[in-house]
Amino acid sequence: MSCLSKLVMLVVVLLIYSKICAADEVNFSRDILPLLSDRCFHCHGPEPTHREADLRLDLREAATADRDGTTVIVPGKPEASEFLARITSSDADLLMPPPDSHRKPLTKKQTELIRKWIAEGAKWGQHWSFEKPVKVTLNDQEQNQNPIDALVQRRLAEEGLSLSPVTTKQTLIRRLSFDLTGLPPTPQEVEAFVNDESPDADAKLVDRLLKSKHYGERMAMWWLDLARYSDTDGFQQDATRTNWPWRDWVIQSFNKNQAFDQFTIEQFAGDLLPNATPEQKLATCFHRNHMTNGEGGRDPEESRIDYVIDRVNTTGTVWLGLTLGCCQCHSHKFDPISQTDYYSLFAFFNSVDEDGKAGGAAKPYLKYPSPLVERAIQEAQQVVDERRPFEAKARKQAEQEFEPWLAEQMRFVEQGFTAWHLPQTRSLKSVEGTILTQETDGTVQASGPNPRQEDYRLTAATNLSRVTGIRLEVFPHASHTAGKLSRGASGELILTDVKLQVRRQGSSQLRDIEFATAVADVEKTAKGRNYGKIKDTLDDDPRNGWTTEGHDPKQKHIAVFALAEPLVLDDQEELIFVMLHRSTEGDANIGRFRVMLTDQPGQAVRSLEPMPLEALAAVKTTEVSQLDPNLRVRLLEQFLVDHGVYQRKKTELDRANTQLAQVKKAAGELNVMVLDERKEPRKTFVLERGVWDKHGAEVSRSVPEAVFPLPKEKTKDRLDLAHWLVSDQNPLTARVVVNHLWQICFGEGLVRTPGDFGLQGEPPTHPEVVDCLAVELMEHNWDLQHVLRLIVSSRTYQQRSEVSKELLIRDPENRLLARGPRFRLPSWMIRDAALQASGLLNPALGGPPVMPYQPPGVWAEMFMGRFRYEPSQGAAQYRRSLYAFWRRSSAPAFLFDSAQRRVCEVEPRRTNTPLQALTLLNDVSILEASRELARTAIQQETTVPERLNLIARRILSRSLDARERAVLEREFQMSLAHYQSHPEDALSLLDVGQPPNKSNVAPDELAAYMVIASMVLNLDEAITHE
Amino acid sequence: MNNQLKQRAFEVSRRYFLGRGAGVSLGAMALGLLEGTRRAEAEKSPAIGLPELPHKPPRAKNVIFLTQSGGPSQIELFDDKPGLMKWAGKELPESVRGGQRLTTMTANQKQLIMPSRTKFKRYGESGATLGEWLPYHGEVADELCFIKSMVTDQINHAPAMTKYLTGHQLPGRPSIGAWSSYGLGSENRNLPDYLVLISKMKRPSDQPLYDHYWGSGFLPSRYQGVKLRNAKEPVLYLRDPDGLPRNVRRGMLNGIAELNQMRLEQTGDPEIETRIRQYEMAWRMQSSIPELNDLSDEPESTFELYGPDSRRPGSYAANCVQARRLIERGVRFVQLFHPDWDHHSRLSSWCVARCRDTDQASAALVKDLKQRGLLDETLVIWGGEFGRGVAGQGKWDSPEGGRDHHPRCFTTWLAGGGVKSGMTYGATDEFSYNVAENPVNVRDLHATVLHLLGIDHERFTFRHQGLDFKLTGVEPSNIIKEILA
Repeated sequence: MSCLSKLVMLVVVLLIYSKICAADEVNFSRDILPLLSDRCFHCHGPEPTHREADLRLDLREAATADRDGTTVIVPGKPEASEFLARITSSDADLLMPPPDSHRKPLTKKQTELIRKWIAEGAKWGQHWSFEKPVKVTLNDQEQNQNPIDALVQRRLAEEGLSLSPVTTKQTLIRRLSFDLTGLPPTPQEVEAFVNDESPDADAKLVDRLLKSKHYGERMAMWWLDLARYSDTDGFQQDATRTNWPWRDWVIQSFNKNQAFDQFTIEQFAGDLLPNATPEQKLATCFHRNHMTNGEGGRDPEESRIDYVIDRVNTTGTVWLGLTLGCCQCHSHKFDPISQTDYYSLFAFFNSVDEDGKAGGAAKPYLKYPSPLVERAIQEAQQVVDERRPFEAKARKQAEQEFEPWLAEQMRFVEQGFTAWHLPQTRSLKSVEGTILTQETDGTVQASGPNPRQEDYRLTAATNLSRVTGIRLEVFPHASHTAGKLSRGASGELILTDVKLQVRRQGSSQLRDIEFATAVADVEKTAKGRNYGKIKDTLDDDPRNGWTTEGHDPKQKHIAVFALAEPLVLDDQEELIFVMLHRSTEGDANIGRFRVMLTDQPGQAVRSLEPMPLEALAAVKTTEVSQLDPNLRVRLLEQFLVDHGVYQRKKTELDRANTQLAQVKKAAGELNVMVLDERKEPRKTFVLERGVWDKHGAEVSRSVPEAVFPLPKEKTKDRLDLAHWLVSDQNPLTARVVVNHLWQICFGEGLVRTPGDFGLQGEPPTHPEVVDCLAVELMEHNWDLQHVLRLIVSSRTYQQRSEVSKELLIRDPENRLLARGPRFRLPSWMIRDAALQASGLLNPALGGPPVMPYQPPGVWAEMFMGRFRYEPSQGAAQYRRSLYAFWRRSSAPAFLFDSAQRRVCEVEPRRTNTPLQALTLLNDVSILEASRELARTAIQQETTVPERLNLIARRILSRSLDARERAVLEREFQMSLAHYQSHPEDALSLLDVGQPPNKSNVAPDELAAYMVIASMVLNLDEAITHE
Repeated sequence: MNNQLKQRAFEVSRRYFLGRGAGVSLGAMALGLLEGTRRAEAEKSPAIGLPELPHKPPRAKNVIFLTQSGGPSQIELFDDKPGLMKWAGKELPESVRGGQRLTTMTANQKQLIMPSRTKFKRYGESGATLGEWLPYHGEVADELCFIKSMVTDQINHAPAMTKYLTGHQLPGRPSIGAWSSYGLGSENRNLPDYLVLISKMKRPSDQPLYDHYWGSGFLPSRYQGVKLRNAKEPVLYLRDPDGLPRNVRRGMLNGIAELNQMRLEQTGDPEIETRIRQYEMAWRMQSSIPELNDLSDEPESTFELYGPDSRRPGSYAANCVQARRLIERGVRFVQLFHPDWDHHSRLSSWCVARCRDTDQASAALVKDLKQRGLLDETLVIWGGEFGRGVAGQGKWDSPEGGRDHHPRCFTTWLAGGGVKSGMTYGATDEFSYNVAENPVNVRDLHATVLHLLGIDHERFTFRHQGLDFKLTGVEPSNIIKEILA
């Protein structure tokens, strides 16, 4: 070996050695502070009330102070430090953390680290996120790179790793399109990009996407989740609010690329800006998106306090990345935020001119007309206009069929017409012991015991081909009190409820049958919850019901109950009619009654008028032309009720009309909940243990010093607070925001606890990248697109996401970023992508919320029928998920694992469960998209492989390879064979969602391709950011 | 998502779907089903929960929580105060009320005492007293343990129910069922660990049953209660569309699995492996779940025991039958909800109606479990979010009178699962207004339930937003040792 080479060797060895030394020095904020925080601060941290032994370990002075001869930490002298003795003690009484604290004991490695840190002088520092972010200096070579790549590669080099190759152009455009617009690229866009060989092809693409109006929608979905935006209050009645113009303001702000500082200022204090525009006031709705509780017995002040607390906590999570919520009850145990700090922040929001009410009384409101309503009205009008001729045509057709039907009916009623039929009684029982005896004409007489409350249960069969209504006659009788209607003290009756059930012989199970309406000849006028109205016998509530009190009690009275749907019984089934007498005081059981059935539909059972056929029977003529026109109209109505084809068209038109009426309600000025300051500010107190009416010391508005202090005169109002949040001096906000942007593009943030940048949060995987991007954001005037552009144009972002076994084992969570991100798309993006791929997507921006398909009954179950969900009709159905009506207590069902929007949420929810599979397999939106995509494939291509390829290109943004095509061809042929031999299955499958206006594709073929499209939409690749 | 959670999610999905311990392969499970072995036992295999659980030998394996939403009146049902008759119509002494908050519904009304609207009767060897509206409860009184000194600090429904079930009044924490599922898993591979059954009612209830009552809060969503609906589709999206028969669906799933497998080979992403298994699980659930709603194989004697309402699918009584069947199938936690106990008016028809819905079936469930030898290992809990006040709401002496919410005392009963039978714990003052002895906070109840399941509530934590959360919260909570068998 030459001298020179020896010298080189020596230099290399020395270099390596010095590097090890440098790397070896214990870093307080990285290595020690997390340990102290996790194991010690609970009892020896910033929070005073639970502090043990009056010892603080979060401050250097306190930890190194002399305490009656002992010193907890003696810098440079681990052996003299009581701290080390206690964490290594073998005496369970002395050991820290104490075993009964249920905190993890320190490992040997960790105690060694602490020893070394003390030996090195116990250097103190601040938690990283409280230090001002600074850009790290790049060397000459790194200067030419995207700083993200330079810094990520530094880290990779330390690990002996390097970036993965750049992904394919197809994957890149798909990735960029999802990240920046939330939609997949069209096949044309993919082709154009793949063929664009210019050096700035990527940059042009990014520019195009950032300029797309869908960019604002994508970013808004991010913001709406953390703003806990919802179209309803969330508690109790879950009343609807009309805050959606704020949602549109968010979209427009992103589309204008409004600077994030201004975006913040307007949402915190738009109302306090000089000459505030309506839009600036509108922006403050951000802080009114919390839940509101109008529960009957609630003290509105308690609710109001809840709302203010929600604002403080949301501010903490979204801007500061701090779990301020902890300080509601006590000073933070880990972060340097005191309970006084908390309520000083609270004070900024405490004088909003609100009074804690909910529903329609949640002032302050801004009267705001949305310019985006008109388009929605036109769209709704168009659906009505399209459907009206179909309804008219069906009606015309039905009217033609009416004539022969009428002639037939006239012949039929010549021998007379019987409206009501006696069922064949199988059993007649009372629950409490009343004796019920049936007479030959079907009348039932009660005798024997006369209990205070009683149920009658009549089981019967019928020969009628269907049952549409039940008639109950009640009769006076000599055996009743004063010859009236019952044997109770007053002789009056109270029927609280009726029920109808079906039982199949031999089966143990009953089926409940719903009634739609109930009418009676007379009833008592009752106000509120009281006895009177016949319709109250349908609600299963014993606090109300029917009584004829006040009318002639010596007369027969009649009630008719109409079934919600005609009931067809087979000869194995029987009816059970239950009459409940369960009024509060009771003693009003019906004494004599008769139950009869009819098969006549519609108005025939919704009124007590003679039924149309009854009236027809009474007419003496046999000439159709001589019929009374009024009777003719009634007969026609009855005929139409039973006309399936017409009813379908009519229902479709009715739905369109209902929708139009709904949308029109959004025209004109809407009440949007906003911030507005009271004239007299409220006093603010620390709330002891966070309890709303337990006032502690009074506090005034100020900002937490530990983040960065401002003098009192600069913290007067919400505007000052907003300026403080987005000040260049604030170490947190910019970091938290860029972390969110990173999370949008990579699925996970650089700080993987995006809502907690405090001591208990995770440290960043790449602190230098966080700081670099934070400084970039501030230096570029809080331009979010600048940072997004920086991220997506990095090599780091553009890497392939494929991973080798070795790398997966080495870095399962991709914390080193040696590969591109691969993660499941948010559920809303999956639905939007299916709409886009199928060509159904309605790209309109903003406006009143819409109702995408969801399974029937979801709302009705939760609210026991108070709310019904009606899916949007026509083009409104195909709006992006962003516009889906958000009922807070029942989030859109198709969003199987989204944020719940009850409180601010910033961590992604990404489950991999059977529910996801079931939703994508069976959701109507996905099935309908499959059908329409299948139709397009058949219409635009001719061969099977070409059609399969079209489906793949639309959904996956790429063509199929041979193996994949083989699988799909096989499944296609199998499905086709099935639908060819089962054409009825094809028709049922295709009958999903809304029917297309015209279709000239063979149903069996369409169904088979629909199966394929549904398969491809369910592929892991289809729902994954690759 | 934090590290711990991820690791846990990974562990669970790996164990859950790669055979979950005891060498039960997925194929074997699928085969069991395909061969039509639908017997409850065939679906069971050892539960997989957290490795460190149970902390101690469990007394109860399963829980059935009969949640009575709205606040049943302890004064009419459980807490006999014959002395109140002499106070009828008199104002509640301020010394008793002690500044207790009222809801805004009665805050402006005089607090005039309304004695119980029912007569009480003694039952069994234990001599438990019960209101006359609960005759069937009387038959099993010797099996029950009444806690008459339950206390909460919430006076309105949603916050109180949220607290009763999650330990905290604001939504966002996991429910006790979700905690159990997270900690213990369940023995059934084809069903969720935690199932929720809600009585089908006609009357629109004023208290919606929010899904956060059985939510998983910050725990992974796989631990949330799955609501078994009484509808064509017992679980949302379970039903394949019309015109898509099982053979076509099977073909689709085969194709999807093959294509996903190819993608897995290309990308190396283990999530795809999980996805493939989840699609298979979905397929199995499509047959295992609808079967649950079919009670046709139950003998007549079951319906005679549980009462006529048990023949109506979706009724509380039918849900009680279901609950027993689910426990037999190894489901860890079954929770029933019966709404509309909020009798502010017309107590003696409103409260009676809810008693009629629930009395016979609740008692039958206890009897049935006992007969089948399941009561020892099943903890049954019956209760609502708070009680009712002693003062009448509306006119105290009119039939229209009712009672307002009351958080300071209410009754919850427990049965089976390591709890003493035929016991009454705690007592209220002569007005059933304040707890006179042995107060039991909601968190004490939670600590006790966890204890019976073999879990130390102090050590059972989950890290979220940098804090270790537990069901029982930060304030001290105690296991009610006196009621342990």
